[in-house]
Amino acid sequence: MPTIDVDYLELQRLLNVNLNGDMEKLDDILAYVKAEVKGFDEKEGSASIEMKDTNRPDLWSAEGLSRALRGYLGQEKGIKAYSAGKSVLEVNVNANLFGIRPYICCAAVKDIHLSDGIIKGIMHLQDKLDQTHGRSRQKTSIGIYNLDLIKPPIEYTAVKPSDVRFVPLGFDEKMGLDEILEKHPKGQEYGHIVKKNSLYPMLYDSEGKTLSFPPIINSNDLGKITEESRNLLVEVTGTLHKTVLNTLNLVTLALIDRGGKSYSTTIHYPKGSKYTENTIVTPDFSNRRFELNVKDTNRLLGLKLSAEQISDALMTAGLDVEKVAADCLTVLVPCYRVDVMHQVDIIEDVAIAYGYNNIEPLWRELPTTGKAKPDQRLIDVARDLMVGLGYQEVLNTTLTNQDALFQKMQVPPTKIVELSNPKVITMNCLRNWLLPSLMEFLSINQSVEFPQKIFELGKVTLLDETKETRTRDEDWLAAITAHPNASFSEIKSTLDSFMANFGVEWQIKETAHPSFIEGRVGKVIAGGVEVGVVGEVNPAVLEAWKLENPTAAFEINFCAILSYKK
Amino acid sequence: MVELRAQEQQILSAIDTQGGKASVDQLVETCGFPDAAVMRAALTLQEKNLLTIQAATQNIIKLTAEGKIYAQNGLPERKLIHAVAEMGGKADLREAAKKAGLELQFVQIAQGWVIRKKWAIYASQDNTLNISEAFLHQVIIPEGCDETLLKHVCSKEQVVLDDLSDVLKDAAEQLKKRKLATIEPKTSRVLKITEEGKKAAAEATTAAPEVTKLTPELIITGKWREIKLQKYNIEAPVAKTWSGKKHPYLSFLDEVRAKLVQLGFQEMTGTAVETSFFNFDALNVPQDHPAREASDIYYIKDPKYGDVGSHATALEQVKETHQNGWKTGSTGWGYSYSLEAAQRLILRGHGTCLSARTLEAGKFEVPSRHFSIARVYRPEITDRTHLSEFNQVEGIIIDENLTLKDLLGVLGKFALEIAGADKVRFKPDYFPFTEPSVELSAYKEGYGWIEFGGSGIFRPEVTQPLGVKVPVIAWGLGVDRLFMMRSGISDIRMIFSQDLDWLRKKQVT
Repeated sequence: MPTIDVDYLELQRLLNVNLNGDMEKLDDILAYVKAEVKGFDEKEGSASIEMKDTNRPDLWSAEGLSRALRGYLGQEKGIKAYSAGKSVLEVNVNANLFGIRPYICCAAVKDIHLSDGIIKGIMHLQDKLDQTHGRSRQKTSIGIYNLDLIKPPIEYTAVKPSDVRFVPLGFDEKMGLDEILEKHPKGQEYGHIVKKNSLYPMLYDSEGKTLSFPPIINSNDLGKITEESRNLLVEVTGTLHKTVLNTLNLVTLALIDRGGKSYSTTIHYPKGSKYTENTIVTPDFSNRRFELNVKDTNRLLGLKLSAEQISDALMTAGLDVEKVAADCLTVLVPCYRVDVMHQVDIIEDVAIAYGYNNIEPLWRELPTTGKAKPDQRLIDVARDLMVGLGYQEVLNTTLTNQDALFQKMQVPPTKIVELSNPKVITMNCLRNWLLPSLMEFLSINQSVEFPQKIFELGKVTLLDETKETRTRDEDWLAAITAHPNASFSEIKSTLDSFMANFGVEWQIKETAHPSFIEGRVGKVIAGGVEVGVVGEVNPAVLEAWKLENPTAAFEINFCAILSYKK
Repeated sequence: MVELRAQEQQILSAIDTQGGKASVDQLVETCGFPDAAVMRAALTLQEKNLLTIQAATQNIIKLTAEGKIYAQNGLPERKLIHAVAEMGGKADLREAAKKAGLELQFVQIAQGWVIRKKWAIYASQDNTLNISEAFLHQVIIPEGCDETLLKHVCSKEQVVLDDLSDVLKDAAEQLKKRKLATIEPKTSRVLKITEEGKKAAAEATTAAPEVTKLTPELIITGKWREIKLQKYNIEAPVAKTWSGKKHPYLSFLDEVRAKLVQLGFQEMTGTAVETSFFNFDALNVPQDHPAREASDIYYIKDPKYGDVGSHATALEQVKETHQNGWKTGSTGWGYSYSLEAAQRLILRGHGTCLSARTLEAGKFEVPSRHFSIARVYRPEITDRTHLSEFNQVEGIIIDENLTLKDLLGVLGKFALEIAGADKVRFKPDYFPFTEPSVELSAYKEGYGWIEFGGSGIFRPEVTQPLGVKVPVIAWGLGVDRLFMMRSGISDIRMIFSQDLDWLRKKQVT
């Protein structure tokens, strides 16, 4: 979930509400847009706000929040109108970008007065958009330039990396593109996006001066913004036209909100290529139209709202209503509300404006029959039996590591479910048997009073080619007893009692198992099939777990014994 | 008659026979009990006013290593005088010393004491010793007090100075000066019998024998009638017994399960490893969504891909919905859908994939209610508020005409039935798969507000491609937080606590 940092006093000023440092009051206001205060740094005067809705990049600035909330605060209803002046700049796109990073949208913003705070705010928004909405610059990336230094038209093209050298932002020497990927921090971070192609995207002005190497880094000459910069060029490149345009709109609106005037640019895509349109004017602040059915609205909300009531709620939520008929409304959705995909998104806005807490909750008595999963009753019976036998139930994670499953248990490794991206090496695979978890449990409790008797009835995950997920989960049962006199006969007696009470006939058959002492371990057989193992734990295993007491254990496939239950 | 245990009786009698007063050390010796046992009995007897315990400081005489040797072999002067006697009552000092086997450094000492004890006279002109008149005709020169004491202390190892006669006390001082003995003060406890104690001791000798353990033999033979069973100190601490118990968190989940079953929900199950299709795609999460990044979901190393081939219809419809909205009325996400990404295997990140599977399989009644208690996984660094692996309780309700009112009603019902809440509060929430979406906070006296659940009505982009034509409410409960609140724990890691001591001491609820 995106978290943004905003200047608290600035937010209070923009919201036009006196909060007096009351974070709960701010929380109540932010609830309208599914945001909440995560932290407040009094010294910095900055509030950290978490957005639950990952699909509302229009909220990721103080201006955006105030724009969305002003209707709910009873200040100004409907869409906040924005416009862009006539086109001042042309951009030519080379056909060789198709399949690499084909789309670009630009806007000019003039007469802006940038303070250090404003620059920081814009950079924060740019970073959030690049990371979240732009999928770490994969999908879209933003560049902002000093417009006065650029000689249009602008060329967007793809080049051979070896052909180009320029001075990247923050450096003072010319570098080759691959050198930038290798040495520049941004190159190291985002280089993988361009490296899959043999040509890299580049932006030049008509004099051949480099604007940037998208999506990696701006040039140090044209791509540096200072408090003196008055006129800006905003550019967004990416892989999906809709997202590129939306992102440009959002950045441009933020600059307008900070006092700039926006002007259009004209993008020329190559003729006769795979692009669907050849000439596009951006930014595009036009509203989208949605038809909203009154009956559908009331059916989803369980209310009896009239078209007028719905219309009023929509205006509060910051949307416009173009036409109101008895059964249908034509709703205008502003360009910055990129989250609206379906009529239901608009209906939710009606509900939020109406107030969730003004709706009477309803619990219907439905003729449905409750039922636990099929094995649950017998699982509970088995747990009760183990508790009756004096064993403490424990709960372990199913994530573990090979050292625990194999090396420490002295058994040869087998194929198990491993993770590609473990967070810690001690949790890099799923367990395929339970005893290692119990041994680990004992190893942590060496200072606790003995005898220690514990059990777990839990899931193990096994590879299974025949299944959709290539795995199957099974419920297994393992128990362990550890104390100075723990022995094979004790654990066999416990297992025997468990099986007898559970109603399973079983036999034991001598076997060899490296986790157990030779001659003190047996296969557990039920219905002629091997369902588990019982024995006295090998001192080598005890040593590996740093255990000092004799230990005896059993582990059985609980699912399997269910079928042999009398 | 005063009731006494066997040991107490024996000790009381021992004091009585030793003149009504004895030190603990003496009793250890005479009764053969360890020091601690004597003291324990003494304390009980004192409580019953049968004796008094006094702390007394006594001077204790012990022999030095040299003293012990002399106690066994005789003092050097004794050896010297014997030699002189054997040599006829008069002898050259050097020859006598040689005959006595004295080493050179002891000759002078022996000579000095022989003279001081008036056993002999020394003639310096011829360097001879002459036995004194008084002893000349005696066979053995009588033992001196110092020698008597030396042997006495040697046989007892230690002797109380005050127990000695005055003569022996002087001898003790002498031995101390000669560095053959040490005299040091020691505090010891002296038990003194009272009048009542004397009476009790007299009665005890006539009482029935006391027995500690009742045996089957005593019962069968009827001998239990003739004996007296010892009384126990029932207030004494005993060894701990640790009961087998269910795990507190699993018991709590059992309770939640029972409640849900009672409310008409049936349980859904599935595997920990899931396809991205059911965990994400079918729930309207686009394939490039941040929630699918390696920082947010665990990917399986090998095998990388599952098989969604048996869900061809749903797959096609979900694909269309993602790309262009299909027939759902949605704009769709507008990107090119990948089958490879759909089949990528992961560890499920939420239990909602089970709801998606239930809907897709079409094996449900209208109306019906479903739930799951699923182990789910997220690549988090474990700390007091995060787990990499935890349980989620969630589910769905399927019925014609479900509305936002039902959504609020379901959450309210859970807050009441499962959290025991006094009041509830609703807030707008966001999930990629529901719209509208609601967050529930529950208030319970003494606990305050907790975020207890989230819920929503499945988007048409979710239900329609899975072939469902009626509204479906999806809900999830923050049961971990509820459990922590109830158990008074603030660290979420305690749910998977491997602290056996905590589990043993945790009260059942």
